[in-house]
This record gives sequence, C-alpha cells and structure tokens, in this order.
Amino acid sequence: MLHWMADPQWVIPSIIAPFVFTTVALTLFKGSSAPFGLYAVLGGGMMGMWGNTIYSSGFAIEFEKWQGTLEEVIAAPSKLIHVITGRSISNALFGLTNMVAVFIVGTLVFNISLGIANPILFTISLLLTLLSVSALGLIFASAFVLSRSAQTLTNGLETPLYIISGSMFPIALLPFWIHPAAYILGPTWGIDAIRLTTSQDYASQTFWQGMGTNTALFLDLTVMILITLAYAVIATALFKMVEKRARTKGTLVEA
Amino acid sequence: MNSLRVFVSSAVFSFRAQFDWLNPSMWLTMKFVLSFSQMAFFVFVGLFSGGGADVVSFIAIGNALQALSWNTVFSVIQITGHDKWDGTLPLVLATPASRLPLFVGRAMIHVLDGLVSVAISFFFAAFVFGVNFAQANALALAVTVLLTAFTMAGFGLLIGGFSFHFRNPIVFANIFTFILLIFCGVNFPVEALPPLAQPVSYAFPLTYGINAARQAIKGASLLEISPVLVEQLAVGIVSIILGYVLFEAFERTARKTGKMEAL
Repeated sequence: MLHWMADPQWVIPSIIAPFVFTTVALTLFKGSSAPFGLYAVLGGGMMGMWGNTIYSSGFAIEFEKWQGTLEEVIAAPSKLIHVITGRSISNALFGLTNMVAVFIVGTLVFNISLGIANPILFTISLLLTLLSVSALGLIFASAFVLSRSAQTLTNGLETPLYIISGSMFPIALLPFWIHPAAYILGPTWGIDAIRLTTSQDYASQTFWQGMGTNTALFLDLTVMILITLAYAVIATALFKMVEKRARTKGTLVEA
Repeated sequence: MNSLRVFVSSAVFSFRAQFDWLNPSMWLTMKFVLSFSQMAFFVFVGLFSGGGADVVSFIAIGNALQALSWNTVFSVIQITGHDKWDGTLPLVLATPASRLPLFVGRAMIHVLDGLVSVAISFFFAAFVFGVNFAQANALALAVTVLLTAFTMAGFGLLIGGFSFHFRNPIVFANIFTFILLIFCGVNFPVEALPPLAQPVSYAFPLTYGINAARQAIKGASLLEISPVLVEQLAVGIVSIILGYVLFEAFERTARKTGKMEAL
C-alpha cells in the first residue's frame, strides 16, 4: 500500500479499465429490465478487485526486476509468498474503490438506487471474495516470477476473468463449455454471494435456486472458501517450486 | 530524402523497441486474447441488456475498430513513456535529425500493427459473433480502416506530445485508450451519451471511423461515406499538428530548464 502511495501510476490503470467497462455496461443496461444496479455496481467492484490484484501481482514482480531489487526480496529471510500476499490483499482492497466510484456515478448519472439487504453478511461476503481474488492472484504471481512478460500477461488475464466469473452478467449466457472454468473460480461464487446479500430478489437468479437465501448464501461461501484454500495450497507449492528453480538455475532476473 | 530516412528508421526502431520487453509470440498471442476478450465482454453485456443480433453486430464492429487504439493510441503514447523510462530521451533531443519526420515516423509503424489488430477482430466478429459481411463494400471498408488507423495514430501523437510534459505517460495512455469505449460509439450510439458529452465524441477520429465502417459493412460506397472520412482526416491532421506543437514546446522547455525525464 505504501508502494502505491509513493507511486500510484501502477494502480491507476487497473482502476480505469473496470470503471470504464462498468460505465459502458450501465449505459447499455439503461432502459432495460435487467437488474443492472446489482450487476453493474457490484460487478464493477469485483472487477476493480481483480484488476488491481492481477496488475499488482504482475507489476510487483516486474517492477522489482526493473529496479534490480528482486534478488534482495528473494534473499530476505521472509518468504516471497508472504511478501506478495500482503501486496495482493492490500491492492485488492484498494480495488474496491472502483465499487464506490461506480456507485457514485450510478446514483448521480444513472439514478440507481441500490440498498444492501444484509450489511453484515454483505461485508463478510465481500471480504471473503477479496481473499479469494487475492489467492487467485498469488497463483499467477508465482508464474510471473519466471516470466519476462508479466506485464503483458497481466493485460491479457484481466478481461477473461471478468467474462468467465460472470461479474457483469449471468454465466448462463456463456457457452456451456466455459461453465466448468467459471465454477473453479472463487470470484464466481463470491459475486453470487454478494448479490444475494444485497437483494432478496436475487434469490431467484442464484446458482442455488429454490434453496432459500440463507442456504444459497451458505453454499456460495462454503464453495468459495474451499476454492480459496485450494488456491492457497497451490500458490504455496508453486512459489516454493519457482523459488527453488530460480535459485538453482540462477535465472531470476533473466527469466 | 534525409527526412524520409529519418521517418522510416524512426518507424522501424519504434516497433522493434517494444520487443525489448515483449517477445514476438507473446505479442501475437495478446493480439488475439485482447481483441477477443474485450469484444466478448461487451457482446455478453449487450445480450444481457436484452439486445439481439443487431446489438451484437453493433458492439462487435465497434470493438473491432477500437482494437486498433491499443496500437495507435496506447503504444504511440507509450513511446514517450519508454523514452523517459529507458533514458533515451536526451538522445532523441540531441539528434540533429529533422523533428517532424522523427516525431510522426515513430507512430506510423503502429498504424500497420493496428491494421493487424482490426483484421483479427473482424475475424472474431464474423466467425464467432456472426456479424454479416456479405453486403460489405470491401473498398470502402478498407479505406475506412486504413484512415482510422492513420488518424488515430495522429490522436496518439497528440496525447503523446501532451504526455512529454508529465512524468507518467502510462496514465494518459490508459485513460485515453479506455475512454474511447465511452465516447466513440463503440458499444452504444453517441446519442446515448448525455447531450453535454456528445460534442466531445467528435474530437476523436475513431467516432467517424466506426460510423463509416458500420455504413461500409451495410454496403455503402466509398463516395457515400466520403463526407465522414473527410471530417475524420481533418480531425486526424489537426491532432498531429497539435501534438507536434506540444512536442516542440516540450523540447524548448527541456533545453531551457535542463529537465527532461524529470518533467
């Protein structure tokens, strides 16, 4: 977070894209019967979290390479995964500012009135989604250590996750063969839980239709927590592998 | 002749410079991924908003044309950023080469790069999202795409010239690439914007290009869309001139104050 405060330029782009995407979506939804407040504003928040996380994961590594400080970070007694986890969570948290910005624009320009049905469960769902997004970012960050193209990969990974997780539209619209990819993404379940805690009406559109709001929410959060734990285990193993390989081959900066 | 040599070498080196940080296979992969994912995202949002095949076609064509902005706007603005970042700006300003071909030439190779992006995007529009090109007037469409790439590179030079005066051109590169999605009729008609915002749309050459491309795909001839293309060309040329003036202003300030990368 302090790094961001010292040089905000690396964070600004990841805010701009989700904000513009959401504004375009709000304009397209204008006049339609779709619950655009639920999808555009909350989806915009999710996109901000993901955009910032993937951007920070990519740039955290690339920036260290450019500055010649990656060797020091790796050589420090702290584990690399701990350093990157801290950055990932703080940047995902900052990505939530997009939700606030979209909410303000939605309220003032598009006359959206979006209340939160259950503020406590909403906050819990939001925080768990934030952790899930951060954990997913860690998996990609481990690959970025080995790649010279982290910045480019970052750009390429941002929008596909917006699509597959159904941040701005129901994943039922996607071709069926993409659905399995959606189900293994924590944010897919997270955004479903967030929408459930925001509006009672959403119960008819959730993945768990007919099970009642509380049961659906419980299932969403349980699945997301399990996926997040799996991400954490995979990320830890990958970081160990990547660090070992970088030390053994001595190709940390050249990679 | 010397100006032409400067123009060509600036163009070639500007393109090759990006492979300092990007390998060719990644460059090509990203062209496919970025073009497809952005188009797909907005097509699905359009479908969710209740749109049918006409909305899908509108969005797919708009995003296909906008794809060239990544090359002609983002990459062109980033030339400034890379000069500052890589410490090559003093060399650029120290060279006795004529400034205009140097300034314009560096953007021109991105026109060709942008054309590749549009071709890939049109492929997705036709074969994934079912846009019907059967009635398209190929000549009118080709001229429109070429002119849009050229004039958008001019717009990139304008913002690039402006960005010389700031430390972080990447911020401007992002802002001015993404806001095109709102202002240029990419995903919805310009008329859907608030009335006060609509005049802003016509400051971007892309607005004219997308409008002309949609007409050409419906079968309009080059003559029929020529008024739109003339307006687009005028906006593009004004952009290049303004960008060059800003570049020269920066050079004067840099020489006078001794600040280059610090600005």
